[in-house]
Amino acid sequence: MTELYQALAQGLLIGATYGLLALGMGLVYGVSGVVNFSHGDFISLGMFMCLALYSAFAMDPYVSIIITVPLMTAIGALVYIFLIRPMVGHQFLMVVQLTLGLSLVLQNGILMVFGGEPARTPSFVESKLIILGDVVLRVPHIVAFVVSFALAIGLYIMLRSTDFGRSIRAVHQNAHAAALMGINVGRVQVLTFALGIGILALAAALLLPGTPIQPTQGLRYTVITLLVVVLGGMTNFVGIMLGGLIIGIAEAFGTIYLDGPIGLLLPYIIFVAIMLFLPKGLTWSSAR
Amino acid sequence: MLEIDNLVAGYGGVPVLRDINAKIAAGEIVGLLGANNAGKTTLINSLSGMVKPISGRILFLGEDISKLTPQARVELGIVQVPEGRLVFPEMSIRENLLLGGINAHARKHRPQQMEKVIGLFPRLGERLTQSAGSLSGGEQQMLAIGRGLMAEAKLLMLDEPSLGLSPLFVQYIFEIIDKLHADGLTILLVEQNLNLTLRHAERCYVLERGQVAVEGDAETVKNDPRTRSAYLGL
Repeated sequence: MTELYQALAQGLLIGATYGLLALGMGLVYGVSGVVNFSHGDFISLGMFMCLALYSAFAMDPYVSIIITVPLMTAIGALVYIFLIRPMVGHQFLMVVQLTLGLSLVLQNGILMVFGGEPARTPSFVESKLIILGDVVLRVPHIVAFVVSFALAIGLYIMLRSTDFGRSIRAVHQNAHAAALMGINVGRVQVLTFALGIGILALAAALLLPGTPIQPTQGLRYTVITLLVVVLGGMTNFVGIMLGGLIIGIAEAFGTIYLDGPIGLLLPYIIFVAIMLFLPKGLTWSSAR
Repeated sequence: MLEIDNLVAGYGGVPVLRDINAKIAAGEIVGLLGANNAGKTTLINSLSGMVKPISGRILFLGEDISKLTPQARVELGIVQVPEGRLVFPEMSIRENLLLGGINAHARKHRPQQMEKVIGLFPRLGERLTQSAGSLSGGEQQMLAIGRGLMAEAKLLMLDEPSLGLSPLFVQYIFEIIDKLHADGLTILLVEQNLNLTLRHAERCYVLERGQVAVEGDAETVKNDPRTRSAYLGL
């Protein structure tokens, strides 16, 4: 029983951050039709930025976000304007190819600068634990859960009740009509992509404490994010957060209950099983 | 108010419209007629800035707007109510109306403007929180027009407002159009329905294969044999 609670708690905590990662990707897909296959490498980039800031100034990852978030947001805007925008509206596969290329560039760029050894970035909360009955929770996971949910709620409110949020939804629902309203569709697309990358910088800091990082890890995050986005029905806000929790829990169960490779496969098996029965994902139409 | 001067426009460098000349005076209601594929929608999309001109000019209130972005034109008050209505289906009526007034010029006056729109379409006011996708075709057309009015239109361009509506709704929508005109709004009415348009528009242009085939007041256009041939493609 203890193991069950432990797995559930751990999965929920990590799953919230997976949900947040996927919200960024879903938003971008919703307004530009772009699926960013370098998503995970941008998470890597955010993590290695934190590492660099720690090495240079002994800065805690939670503090370095004041630098990494604006920086990554700006990088996101530039990447969209100069690399992705010229491709959008042509071939979907061209954009996929481009972001895959970008993924390799980022990966090898990080490898060049930081080398291939797994590295760790300490944080003041890293080894702190909270014990609830028999369940042991790591403080960084709790921080990640709370911040991810707070951000998701913040994003939701932004989408629902600000002009910028309504513009994002309008572009998603009908870009032509949005332009006729006087919405600058190109600008909304750039800002959404930048926002998506900025969120990654935050998520990177949340995932970092206690986790060894290496340059090649990006693909793993990309795949997890894709699973969550697809599971959530691509653009469905609540569906995506739910998908994040499911994948997080599947991952925790896999590592706690099953040995070796089968355990690591569990999230994918559950994903395939859900998609077989709900090919449109966990849609939640009222929440769009 | 609006002057189109030798406009050539199309897609990917291929002209759809050739040498269009037309004028709309302030307060006028002008019909733009023509068969399918005559270029009506391309023309109002050129006025909205969604289609870039190849040559020629568009003057609005004396200023050349042919290089302006769609956003800048909406801010000037050139507002299109698109064919097929294109309301945002997953948003409420209220959110659709708010989006109508999102341009920098209209944004400040949205509460007052929304009251006016609700006064004009009480039916929308009764269901502000209902999603636009759940409305009937006629109600969606009301919403699309209301959304256009939220932008503080000076020139309201209606693309096929009667399309797919029941006769009763068509009558209602055209009563609204007459009312807006009586209140002094300048209207460009794009329609396939010849007789309906001739009844409501003061002047008309008939497009045929991207060119103006006939122009003049309703009576002239009605009696011109070229109008009929433009429609039948003879």
